Amino acid sequence: MTAPAPEAETLRQPVRRIQVAGLFGAAAALIVVLAAVHLTQGTSSVGAGDLIRLVFGQGTDNAANVLIASRLPRLLAGVLVGIALGVAGAGLQSLARNSLASPDTLGVNAGAYLAVVVVAAFGVPLPVLPAGGVAFLGGLAAAGLVLALSAGGSTGPTRLILAGSAVAMALGGLTTLMLLLFREETVGTFAWGAGTLVQTDLDAVTQMAPVVLLGLVGAFLLAAKLDILTLGDDTASVLGVNVRRTRVLATLATVLLSAAAVTVAGPVGFVGLVAPVLVRLLAPLVPGLLRHRVLLPLSGLTGVLVVLASDVVLRAAFGGQAGVEIPTGIMTMVVGAVVLIWLARRHRDSGPSRAPAGAGSGLRSRRTFWLVTIALAVLLAGAAVGAMLTGDAFLRTGDIVNWVNGNSGRAITYVLDQRFPRVLAALLCGAALAIAGTTVQAVCRNPLAEPGILGITGGAGVGAIGTLILLPSASIWLLSGVAAVAAVITFGLVYLISWRGGLSSDRLVLIGVGVSSAATAIITLLIVATDPWNLSLAMTWLSGSTYGRTLPQIAPVALALFVLTPLIAHLRRDLDLLALDDDVPRILGVRLERTRLLALLAAALLTAAAVSAIGVVGFVGLVAPHAARALIGGRHARILPVAALLGAILVSLADSLGRTVLAPAQIPAGLLTALIGAPYFVYLLWRTRVPTR
Amino acid sequence: MRRTALALVAAALFGLTACGTSEPTASDTPSNAAAQPVSVTDARNKKVDLKAPAAKVVALEWNAVESLVSLGVMPVGVADTKGYTNWVTAEKLDASVKDVGTRGESSVDAIVALNPDLVITTTDEAANNIAQLEKAAPVLVIRGSDAKNPIGQMKTNLDLIAQAVGKTEQAKQLTADFDKKLAEGKQKIADAGKAGSGFMMADGWKQGSTITVRMFTNGSMLGAISTELGLKNGWTGAGDKDYGLAQTDLEGLTKLPDGEFLYIANKNDGGDVFGGDLAGNAIWKNLPFVKAGNVHRLPDGIWMFGGPKSAGQFVDAAVQAVTS
Repeated sequence: MTAPAPEAETLRQPVRRIQVAGLFGAAAALIVVLAAVHLTQGTSSVGAGDLIRLVFGQGTDNAANVLIASRLPRLLAGVLVGIALGVAGAGLQSLARNSLASPDTLGVNAGAYLAVVVVAAFGVPLPVLPAGGVAFLGGLAAAGLVLALSAGGSTGPTRLILAGSAVAMALGGLTTLMLLLFREETVGTFAWGAGTLVQTDLDAVTQMAPVVLLGLVGAFLLAAKLDILTLGDDTASVLGVNVRRTRVLATLATVLLSAAAVTVAGPVGFVGLVAPVLVRLLAPLVPGLLRHRVLLPLSGLTGVLVVLASDVVLRAAFGGQAGVEIPTGIMTMVVGAVVLIWLARRHRDSGPSRAPAGAGSGLRSRRTFWLVTIALAVLLAGAAVGAMLTGDAFLRTGDIVNWVNGNSGRAITYVLDQRFPRVLAALLCGAALAIAGTTVQAVCRNPLAEPGILGITGGAGVGAIGTLILLPSASIWLLSGVAAVAAVITFGLVYLISWRGGLSSDRLVLIGVGVSSAATAIITLLIVATDPWNLSLAMTWLSGSTYGRTLPQIAPVALALFVLTPLIAHLRRDLDLLALDDDVPRILGVRLERTRLLALLAAALLTAAAVSAIGVVGFVGLVAPHAARALIGGRHARILPVAALLGAILVSLADSLGRTVLAPAQIPAGLLTALIGAPYFVYLLWRTRVPTR
Repeated sequence: MRRTALALVAAALFGLTACGTSEPTASDTPSNAAAQPVSVTDARNKKVDLKAPAAKVVALEWNAVESLVSLGVMPVGVADTKGYTNWVTAEKLDASVKDVGTRGESSVDAIVALNPDLVITTTDEAANNIAQLEKAAPVLVIRGSDAKNPIGQMKTNLDLIAQAVGKTEQAKQLTADFDKKLAEGKQKIADAGKAGSGFMMADGWKQGSTITVRMFTNGSMLGAISTELGLKNGWTGAGDKDYGLAQTDLEGLTKLPDGEFLYIANKNDGGDVFGGDLAGNAIWKNLPFVKAGNVHRLPDGIWMFGGPKSAGQFVDAAVQAVTS
């Protein structure tokens, strides 16, 4: 458990009423100023002058209408969302005793958003209030799962964040799937999915305001008990607090608040993380700030400040029109990612978040290794042949034989000609991602790390889609090249930021999560700002797809595998040692940093090649090495080939399923790997959880 | 153990090869040998050579589908047939037309299974998807629209498709009919004394309390047609370079002058934003054209990005709305 000691210490300090009141006053004043500026911004010509005249009773009807039906709703939506998320974030952080908890990192927003999209996709025209109920249930389910997986967050931040990101990723995959399949019904939901404050009436705000109020009242009633809970569960029980009931009630209140916010404006990213953190920053200066009856309302006000400031800056920088085209949530997400990175940098390594290295990594016999390898090779052949056979049209093996011999008929020839590169793309990218994942896990000495979670995949995605937007006809080599450079730069950034007199693997993972969130925000921004009507482009790049791949596009992956696999294989013994600890390799004369960098660079390049070929595909790099370790033990000479086989099988299988299940509609492979991979990841977290007392 | 594994491999391989084939290995027979070869240069500046005018055509964008049916060629496969039926009423599809998947990522398997002579898609399709399709069949790529000359682009597209399917005479007729309809519409509007009056064309959708409005600039086909009819577009902002569409919110509508506000909604796909959701809205209620009762919902199913038949439907609907 992370020691709550310093915080408990500040809690015992008396509340300095005057200072606290001053702080509230300052926050309120700042909100008033921001709100005033906020009101003057918009797509119409109504400006500050018109509004001032309006105040003095000389304004035009037009100005009054704009104020009432557009500016005020937008402002109030911002205020409501800010308060709700700020208080929810503060509550969740206290519950998890962890400053990295928030509606985003616990998957609450993702769950609520998925629920809203499902309702939209099936064309159920729910009024705002029931829609909010659906969002609440979705958010609650996600939060419950994540909290259960991380033992209420008390086992340390890394597990919490990883469980949250995994659940959010899986839910995000489902959401993307709905958006893809119900294009007309959900048009507009894509930009909304990043959190927008554009409001046309006060319906959502007025209907959600009582819900938010209910959540706020609930949270404040629990404030005193939350104070006591900070002292630790045991102490709290001794002091007569029903710990379980308090936790459940507080979770319900915070989820209610987050769900209301999602219903009003979509998932506005990271406000719930940033707001309480800002308040906690002031805590050493103002005694008593961490008492929940102070902390909760102040976090709410700070949430309002974050939302309004993001919106004001967005429109001041890019003009009123940008406020329509670019979702406010993108701004808050970038701000939030920076805060997350900063927090992670301060984070002290607390150890137990890492699964014990021995989990399923005992030495197995050589015979087991060969048996597993042969079985997997057979499976791989099966998956490959299966992939060639399945799809919208089911073929038979004899067709493949004819095709190979060059005497298949016209239709079969074409089908197989187009399937072949896709199957190959899936196999090669799966193998590349698995090898990259194995390397990253060994080097980071964290079984929960993977290129996606470290931000490498996201960075490569930003590079690739940026190139596509600037040069729509860019060749695959240019695309891969830029993606590779971007991946390496992103990775270098993550590595450097997390370097603080040594590499803490927990810190690396936390900062990676922050960077990959920022990358996702940037990808969404690029798409929304340049090609808002092109949903397919967005979906393909955000979810990974083998659709329409041709042989030349696979060449970079093949090349990367061909060149880098031997290099990584050459490092296999160093990887074994690196996976142990820092000292053993040093004693044995391994040049630690050089090997580490070399291995990670190779992993980054492999990832970039895979990303530029099939887009952003998650979880393979995580799941494959794990399964490999569980099957054949911890030696990299064995893990590498087995993981590569497993990765290839996984992506190939996902691709075959995606082409078949809803044919003729096609589902990107990346969505299915997320749907297959996320539960496995959740299972891993579950198995390696530290049992609660 | 190892022997078991080997046996398994052998069994698997045996199983895989022993399943027979789906088709005779004989290659396809040349069809329509008497017809003249066709060569068309498409929007990519690429020559598409066909041995004969295409008869079995798959179309992946609805404007191409509509043009094909107008020209008297029923496509064998269409992307998202259900969506087409909802949104495009200008030309009906036969029940036999196969759905080949979504408009963004159509199923190559489904397309190939139809054994088409030609696949028609637009420049919106990613280059590698087109390259992929080209292995299956000749692909004619049209430009979805061109905001610099939307009506011209529509006619160019019709001509390209007509050449490829050998229906150039019909295309001429369709174009002539459309031009005639346009001239007649213009005359009707002039007769009603509405020439030079303002118009706005929009569609929109709602998510939660967020209403997004999409304005049709003069670079959009419907905006250009309205201008041809002698009306003046009240929306002066810029749109995207292909379809001439601009995005705004409700507040952005206050920039609009008085005039006829035309909009398209679809009862099968989401509600009626302008007619329903906005009824009680202060900005909307006080917009000059709303106050004057000049808001017109056009009939459902006029495809905003379609061919001459859809455009003709729009001319009728717009003339009707403006002169009534």
